[in-house]
Amino acid sequence: MSELTVRESINQALAEELERDERVFLYGEDVADYGGLYQVTAGLQERFGEERVFDTPLSETTLGGTAVGAALTGTRPVVEIMFGDFLAIVADHLTNYAAKMHFNYGDGTSVPLVVRTNYGAGDQFGLHHSQSPIAWFQNVPGIKLVAPSTPHDYKGLLKAAIRDDDPVIFLENKLRYETEGEVPNGGYTVPLCRSDRKREGEDVTVVAIGGMVDVALAAADRLATEGIDVEVIDPRTVVPLDKEPIFDSVRKTHRLVVVHEAATFGGFGGEIAAEVAEEALFHLDAPIERVGAPFTPVPFAENLEEAYLPDEDDVIAAVRNTLGE
Amino acid sequence: MELTDERRTEVYESLLLTRRFEEAVLEAYESGGVPELPHLSIGQEAVGVGATYALEEDDWIAPSLRTRAPILMRVPLEEVVAGMYGTRSGPSEGRTTQHHMGSTERAILGTTGMVGSHLNVAVGAGLSSRQLGNDRVSTVFFGDGATTRGEFHTALNYAAVEDLPVVFVIENNGWTEETPIGQVAAVEEDLIEFAGHDLPSSVVDGQDADEVIAATAEAAERARAGDGPTLLEMKTYRYRPHAEVIPERRDEAEIERWKARDPVTIYRDRLLEEGIVDEGWLEDADASIRADVEAAFQFAREDPLPPEEAMYQVYADVEVDRDGGVVR
Ligand SMILES: Cc1ncc(C[n+]2csc(CCOP(=O)(O)OP(=O)(O)O)c2C)c(N)n1
Ligand SMILES: [Mg+2]
Repeated sequence: MSELTVRESINQALAEELERDERVFLYGEDVADYGGLYQVTAGLQERFGEERVFDTPLSETTLGGTAVGAALTGTRPVVEIMFGDFLAIVADHLTNYAAKMHFNYGDGTSVPLVVRTNYGAGDQFGLHHSQSPIAWFQNVPGIKLVAPSTPHDYKGLLKAAIRDDDPVIFLENKLRYETEGEVPNGGYTVPLCRSDRKREGEDVTVVAIGGMVDVALAAADRLATEGIDVEVIDPRTVVPLDKEPIFDSVRKTHRLVVVHEAATFGGFGGEIAAEVAEEALFHLDAPIERVGAPFTPVPFAENLEEAYLPDEDDVIAAVRNTLGE
Repeated sequence: MELTDERRTEVYESLLLTRRFEEAVLEAYESGGVPELPHLSIGQEAVGVGATYALEEDDWIAPSLRTRAPILMRVPLEEVVAGMYGTRSGPSEGRTTQHHMGSTERAILGTTGMVGSHLNVAVGAGLSSRQLGNDRVSTVFFGDGATTRGEFHTALNYAAVEDLPVVFVIENNGWTEETPIGQVAAVEEDLIEFAGHDLPSSVVDGQDADEVIAATAEAAERARAGDGPTLLEMKTYRYRPHAEVIPERRDEAEIERWKARDPVTIYRDRLLEEGIVDEGWLEDADASIRADVEAAFQFAREDPLPPEEAMYQVYADVEVDRDGGVVR
């Protein structure tokens, strides 16, 4: 085991996959010589050369379109989109092409590309560099959406995503590149489409996504001091969703809180809530609680952004609500 | 466009205001506090100042991420600075940063953080002029990097096909963030080679405000006469890194070479040489601009943060609560 940051664990995953599979290549804006705006790809061009790691023009259309074409024809492109907000530009190629070619071909062909991008508010980067784009794609069958929370999962899931035959959008929380955690030495993968119980508890189930897993765990620690025992489930792959562990947990705790960073209305939490309402309604002892952002763009001003972002107190209040406190 | 001596002193004042404002931003940033990450245009002032000066006050302007001058020329300084601090008196009560501000009254088209997505929007403003039968010209500023997006081609093509009153201004500073434009643009020399469309284009010395004014005035005249768009490539340079968090990696000699053609100095020397101003006037102008900038920063630092309701401004005609429900 070593202690790595999220940034280091992603960098290692990329290096190991570039090493392992010569079909893998990595490209994007300023990813090569500069090492990426957030320095996630630092040193990779030097190590693997200009044919495997290279810069592109400022054109997400170029990235999206060529990645689909390359992935359809025998390579495994890993694309960096500088901010998740720019996925809106690549959305055509991701939703109409990448997501649908397996369905369209009928001979087993799919589109093994990975789009790495970041998301997340909290650094006053304003309304076009802070959005959490999960809901933009959750209703698109064919794309896998991955949002890890720990350095261990970032590394293992990214390696699995690169090996996966389907298109994957890999979402990195930009406020947590410095987060540290234990990562096993040597190659390992974490399977896509499998959730993980990050904390075991008896009283309330909290399903948290991406950067909100930390927040939920911190809330759980605080509640534990009062004897409230929270279970935290991290789906890790958001779509397609590993539902059973969530149902099982709710059947045990009888209470559900879902937490994510994007707006509550229209967000992924609503989908989890609906699934649980369909499958486990009579196991619930209290209404489901959703924690997310208000239905408004991410504001710039310091106090507004703080009010916008869901935090520990919001999770604690929601847990208490399910307990009727 | 007739440039009287008085008008040229105004041009100089705008150049100097832009320079002093951005120097103050840098100073504030370095001494620990401007919430908006500065993307400074120091070195590029003549492009924005000259082009804006050549336009009518109600001509539409869509700035690039780095075009600071037109905003400073059209918006009160206090408001701009408050827009960097995210305080109540900023252009959107702190909802967004000043460099994406929009103002219909001041004919500034709001922009987004998507570099280059504003080109077609600016063409749309030209379309509106045609539909409404007015003679407002739409001028869009964008960096060299934006010319590698499809937006560039589609905007030029449509504006040219429809003869819309649009002036396209490339602020070519040679770099798209950390990548030299030559590495990612398949042109021999100039980005206007990309155009190949049926529209006039030219390369302009972006460090010389008089050249910028002349080229833009001609383009605006053509647009107003119904003869369609023009593409202008202004060669310029930023003295600072792409954004203040990014380390400087460009060649020192390259930076020095450009500093030797500083747009503010070029204009000042010319005014002096032609006897339009004297040293005393220059000193007074500088002192008064510095005082204005200082006062605006002072104002913004004391300006309160916005009330929480400021962020619930999502629709024009219906009130929606924080949970996305219609308020009846
Ligand atoms: C669509 C999009 N892609 C990428 C970025 C990230 N980005 C911001 S500025 C920039 C470079 C812009 O270069 P250029 O157009 O030459 O303008 P300059 O910064 O030189 O003024 C990049 C890549 C962005 N904001 N929007
Ligand atoms: Mg540039």
